[in-house]
Amino acid sequence: MENTALSKHTKSFGLSLALCAVLNALLVIAKEKSNSLQDWMQKITGHHWITHVVIILLLFAAFGWCFARPDSGQGPKMPVNRLTSIVISGVIAGVLIVIGFYLIAD
Amino acid sequence: MKEIILMGHVFFGVGCLLTTIWLFVDVLNAHDGNLARIRWMSRAAAVLMWFAFVVGGYWYVVDYKADKGVILKGPWPFAHNFFMETKEHFVITLLLLATYLPIAASNNLAVNKEARRLVLCVAALVAVLSLMAEGHGAIISMGVKVGLLAKPH
Repeated sequence: MENTALSKHTKSFGLSLALCAVLNALLVIAKEKSNSLQDWMQKITGHHWITHVVIILLLFAAFGWCFARPDSGQGPKMPVNRLTSIVISGVIAGVLIVIGFYLIAD
Repeated sequence: MKEIILMGHVFFGVGCLLTTIWLFVDVLNAHDGNLARIRWMSRAAAVLMWFAFVVGGYWYVVDYKADKGVILKGPWPFAHNFFMETKEHFVITLLLLATYLPIAASNNLAVNKEARRLVLCVAALVAVLSLMAEGHGAIISMGVKVGLLAKPH
């Protein structure tokens, strides 16, 4: 019989990955459009890019942990195909926003 | 030393790409006999991507400033303005994807067709973004080269 169960961390970190891919792109736009934000990010670690990476990695870990909490610690209930679609959509959207921003807006 | 660091970045990046392609093919034919290898390959892909990221990040923060100046004064300023700017940010997503690979591969792929599809999609995204990063890196290097060639002697 086909087993379609996924571990709770596969679901929670998959959702976190999709969300953080988009947040990564939005942070790019925010820091490029706001000098004060970029200066603040520069001050925190000495380089805005290092701060950017640290923020996204912390968010990835935090969201992955939070999304594993629902349903008495069993993780979110969702079909695997929906999780796959969310991961693909989030990653492609994040990459396209970054490319589009530097291609058109910046 | 700067060149060795840069080649290390490329070496680990290509290593991650090749490992991910191996993983992709293994997952297409997942069964009880190759599950352990799939999990080890997914961990190897993640570790190689972390090495590529840390080495490349060190080079970008410490050594790139001089190259950036050459690129911006040369005939290919887009090598920095578009290709480096996009690469330095989409590789963060690539790092997250590679980190997620071993998590997704920890499920029983031999009996779970949908989990297999998830790992295949994540591996494909890692491979495509790795190829993009390699291509962007090549254009950035070429930007430095044409910048140096264009300098008056």
